[in-house]
Amino acid sequence: MTNPLAAASTEHDLSAEHAEDPGTDRETVSFPFGLPGFEDCRGFVVIAADQAPFQWLSSIDGPSATFLTVDPRRIMPTFRYVLGPQDLDRLGATAASPLLWLAVVRLEESGAIVANLRAPIVINPETMIGHQVMPQNCLYPLRHVIVPGAEG
Amino acid sequence: VLVFTRRRGEAIIIGDGIEIRVLRVGRDGVRIGVVAPPSLPVHRQEIHAQICEANRAAANPASRAALEARLKGIVP
Repeated sequence: MTNPLAAASTEHDLSAEHAEDPGTDRETVSFPFGLPGFEDCRGFVVIAADQAPFQWLSSIDGPSATFLTVDPRRIMPTFRYVLGPQDLDRLGATAASPLLWLAVVRLEESGAIVANLRAPIVINPETMIGHQVMPQNCLYPLRHVIVPGAEG
Repeated sequence: VLVFTRRRGEAIIIGDGIEIRVLRVGRDGVRIGVVAPPSLPVHRQEIHAQICEANRAAANPASRAALEARLKGIVP
């Protein structure tokens, strides 16, 4: 078992800063397939950002990668996503399992802050396994604007 | 790249338990059926590429630093 705290302190400034926070959860979530584009990142920690309700998802295994994330329901109250049996199986979850949902947030050149609701990250806190799920027929956008850019 | 000629109803087997079958051939599209172990994710390539691109943009250190700074200005 890696010590995420030790790993975080050598990661980058952000994790080191948050490592001091006694309220953060530093347990490692295993991503058996990594994330698309970051297939070698197999272990992540979720750390509360200073700006609630945002959370950092930071790799502690493989290449360094940090994502700002937010629970999709905090930015789209109607967000509802039913996981298929294969996704549930991969997470070691059942339909009744309480799961942690995270949408990856990014900044666009216009200054707009957008979230990827199309492929949310789902973590099963019971098994500490996570996956970025991609539904076949998803109604939610890859680019959901949270804060508009300079040109509105 | 391995290249195969397959007719409608014919399939390709990859490794242990992955089957890719041609279900229907149309004028500008081919309907394909994939049988794979449940543990293996199967996706349309262009969707996967879009998610990769969005993830890379999100993890870009300069962009992320700018995002954090912008967020600080919005969320106290």
